[in-house]
Amino acid sequence: MEFHPLPQPEEIAEREKEDAMGAYLMMFAAVAVGLPLPIINLIAAIIYYYVNRKKSRFIHFHCLQSLLSQIPTTIINWIVVIWAVRIFFTDLTLNETFWAAVIFAGASTFLYFIVSIIAAYKARQGKMYYFLFFGKIAYEAAYRVKPEDENPTGPVNKPPF
Amino acid sequence: MRSSTLRDLFILLAIGAVLFAGGYYLVKQIGKSDIDLSYEVSIKQEEQLGDLFKDMIENKYTTIKDNKADSALQQITQRLIKALDSTKYRYEFTLLRSEEINAFTIPGANIYMFSGLMQLAETPEEVAAVLAHEIGHAEKRHVVSKLMKELSITAILGVISGGDPSVLTQVLKEIIRTSFDRKQEEEADVFALELLEKAGIAPKSLGRFFERLNEKDLDYNKNLEILMTHPHNDKRIEQSRRYKTKNDFKAIPFDMDWKKVQDSL
Repeated sequence: MEFHPLPQPEEIAEREKEDAMGAYLMMFAAVAVGLPLPIINLIAAIIYYYVNRKKSRFIHFHCLQSLLSQIPTTIINWIVVIWAVRIFFTDLTLNETFWAAVIFAGASTFLYFIVSIIAAYKARQGKMYYFLFFGKIAYEAAYRVKPEDENPTGPVNKPPF
Repeated sequence: MRSSTLRDLFILLAIGAVLFAGGYYLVKQIGKSDIDLSYEVSIKQEEQLGDLFKDMIENKYTTIKDNKADSALQQITQRLIKALDSTKYRYEFTLLRSEEINAFTIPGANIYMFSGLMQLAETPEEVAAVLAHEIGHAEKRHVVSKLMKELSITAILGVISGGDPSVLTQVLKEIIRTSFDRKQEEEADVFALELLEKAGIAPKSLGRFFERLNEKDLDYNKNLEILMTHPHNDKRIEQSRRYKTKNDFKAIPFDMDWKKVQDSL
């Protein structure tokens, strides 16, 4: 498997660095808007990814890493929210496992926020920063040499005659 | 997937497992410290606290004494107290005139029941079930635990040693209006079912009383300490139905005309 060469910080335009950083920072605003339903952040990340991924490989990598890494915490938070709603409206017991899940969700979200702040800082400096697991997947998706990179299709806009 | 990516996934899962286990351990530790709360207040201090509240309650409500309903209440409670294996308390049961459907326990094992509850119950066994539940709260020291959660030990001891009367009123409000937590309610239910069986009263009476409340569609949260915070009691009714009595269990009916008792209220 071949990969495109990684750009060095001085080769990346300021605008690209800002867009890459935005992928992480946008999530904080979206989380605040989305509370108590932890879904707005994921929707915002998907939109941000589709809007920006074509701009450059560096932006593509950071947007995808931010999007993918939000999935587990969003799922965990959703489980806790649904569990809490069911306890309130049905006969489910407020037990120790539930409280452990609440602590688990809180701790995972906190950890995720920390690594996102670090990633945003690195992206602004034009550096790569790889999250565990998601970093490698995002790198492969953004930098792998695809057949269409070598044989690009012809121009989309053509003259009328 | 590359092996290093897979390794990352395992590391992530391991971090998740450690976080969850840590959370579970923390919850267990908090749970343990909760149980020990009530032991900071001695039985004697609890009785002193109860004496203070007794005066306030009896000034606020009219007590019903020396009539059919009161003697019925005493007859029911004697059966229950006799069935208690051992107790640190001297129980006192008082009937209060009010349409409210409620019964509550104050520190020092003083249990109060409103006449509204006696009117609603269709049998003396149902009243006995509610009282057994309240005895459960007293024996498990839930009242003191509840107070300890709301107030500090210093505030409680301050009240005992003649503190501010406005604090006392506040504390009394807590006792009557706020509910126990779910775990405490379950403990009191289990205690009540066992005590009813020992006293020769059908444990199903507890569930029957809850069903009656469900039928009446009462506003549980506002009025009923005995039904705690949760609006659905189906699980508790089910628990009462499923309770297995010993093979030789035989319910002994109360020797009283329940209709006449209710008419005397």
